[in-house]
Amino acid sequence: MISVRDITKRFGSLVAVDRVGFEVGRGEILGFIGPNGAGKTTTMRILTGYIPATEGTALVAGHDVFEENMQVRRKVGYLPETPPLYPELTVGAYLQFVAEIRGVAKAGRSRRIGEVMDMVGLAGWEGRILGSLSKGYRQRVGLAQAVLHDPEVLVLDEPTSGLDPRQVVGIREFIENLAQDRTVILSTHILSEVERLCDRVVMIHKGRIAADGTMDEVRQEAGGGTRYLLELEAGSESRAPAVGALAEVEQVAPLGVAGGFERLEARAPTDPRTAVARLATERGWQIRAMERHVPSLEEAFLAIVGRER
Amino acid sequence: MSGTAVAWAIFKKELRIYFVSPLAYVFLGVFLFLAGLFFYLGVTMTGEASLRVMLSNLSVTLLFLLPLLTMKHFAEERRSATFELMMTAPVPLWSLLLGKWAASVCLCLILLAGTALFPAVLAYYGDPDWGVMATSYLGLLLCCMAFVSAGLFSSSLTDEPVAAGLGGVILLLPFWLAGSAADLTSTEWLRETFRGLSFLTHLESFTSGVVDTADLVWFVLFTFAFLFLTWRSVESRRWR
Repeated sequence: MISVRDITKRFGSLVAVDRVGFEVGRGEILGFIGPNGAGKTTTMRILTGYIPATEGTALVAGHDVFEENMQVRRKVGYLPETPPLYPELTVGAYLQFVAEIRGVAKAGRSRRIGEVMDMVGLAGWEGRILGSLSKGYRQRVGLAQAVLHDPEVLVLDEPTSGLDPRQVVGIREFIENLAQDRTVILSTHILSEVERLCDRVVMIHKGRIAADGTMDEVRQEAGGGTRYLLELEAGSESRAPAVGALAEVEQVAPLGVAGGFERLEARAPTDPRTAVARLATERGWQIRAMERHVPSLEEAFLAIVGRER
Repeated sequence: MSGTAVAWAIFKKELRIYFVSPLAYVFLGVFLFLAGLFFYLGVTMTGEASLRVMLSNLSVTLLFLLPLLTMKHFAEERRSATFELMMTAPVPLWSLLLGKWAASVCLCLILLAGTALFPAVLAYYGDPDWGVMATSYLGLLLCCMAFVSAGLFSSSLTDEPVAAGLGGVILLLPFWLAGSAADLTSTEWLRETFRGLSFLTHLESFTSGVVDTADLVWFVLFTFAFLFLTWRSVESRRWR
């Protein structure tokens, strides 16, 4: 549905986006993550046709974002970084206006507006002036605006920014429902958000793609794989060589002794804990803990961002 | 959705924004107050049952007021993210321009309609020349169209509405002052050029009851020239 090929965007001498490329399929939710100023918003603006790329092409719903700008505009729903609201208008008048310019057929227009308002939790808010809404409600109106015309592709720039936790849950469910038969690309820096919602992650850092893959792939690659934390009874010498000698264990590092137990960090392709337990029983060591630690997206993120600093 | 329907949607939205904010009412108030003043002075000073003095004074008033009416069009949209919406929704640029231009011109029509009281007063007490009155109003409307167009252009140049408003006035001033400049020079061709630049010169035929095609064309060209410049300006801004 979305195919980005080596897009570069320069603003004067500043390279905001540097040869970025990725694909997103139908029904997929792609999480677009990266620190502030990494180039997320610029990439999204190029995808929606708001600004042209300096080099490279992007296809959205089968159309070139530059050459066939109007077709792309018809098929994409877009929530910019700031919800695009006219502060003077009421919620109802605004959505009516967007429905008109988005070409929502007159026959079902009012019904569709009502539907969408229910979906984002704005039922009963038609008469409110946009300028008087709180951040959370502005964000909802922004989302409603983006989905009114039932677009094939949704581009959401930080859809949950500024929302309270309860609202975040609501918006998340809303996006999950939407994504069933559409393509969603959303940027955020709330990583737990991405872990819950997205099938795939593209991590962008300093305008370049730093990681691209399923959630597991990115976590494993960038976060340095699964680790096992072992706490074994300490003795006169470290337990590390004995554990390292096990066939299942690839690598082991002693982390120090505390309260009579030695902490070890082991890396292994398959779970080595039963083998470690067997070893401990043979040697008569007590075991206090054996934990499997899968790197979180946050660790992967920090590993990438930190690495280049 | 055709571009015309989109232009219509934008037209309605802009008018709605005018009338839900105090702007339109303040405008109407100031404009009608000045119109009343000019009407009173014009009639008492000349003793004629005509709107000539009022209408030509109003044209200069509009030069200063209309840029305030158009200043928000692009400047404000760019400040809030709504410009991003306009540029990513299926809105052809000409629909956007037409919708905005027509909405401001429509507000001008409402302003002009507000002055209808004065011809009514004249008809009650005197015997005005209705033909002259009609062409005068036509001239003033053409003025509005031209000023709105220049105001739109000024608004497309900056993100700052106030700067856009001031810029609009500064942009229009030469087209008024050129008339006075014409009186200062004795070089024939220079004087003719200055006179040709001034909108007051082109308004003269209308206020004296004549629809001169050349003057009509002047206003239409002025309007289209600035609409075209606005088009180019909005288009080029996306590349930066």
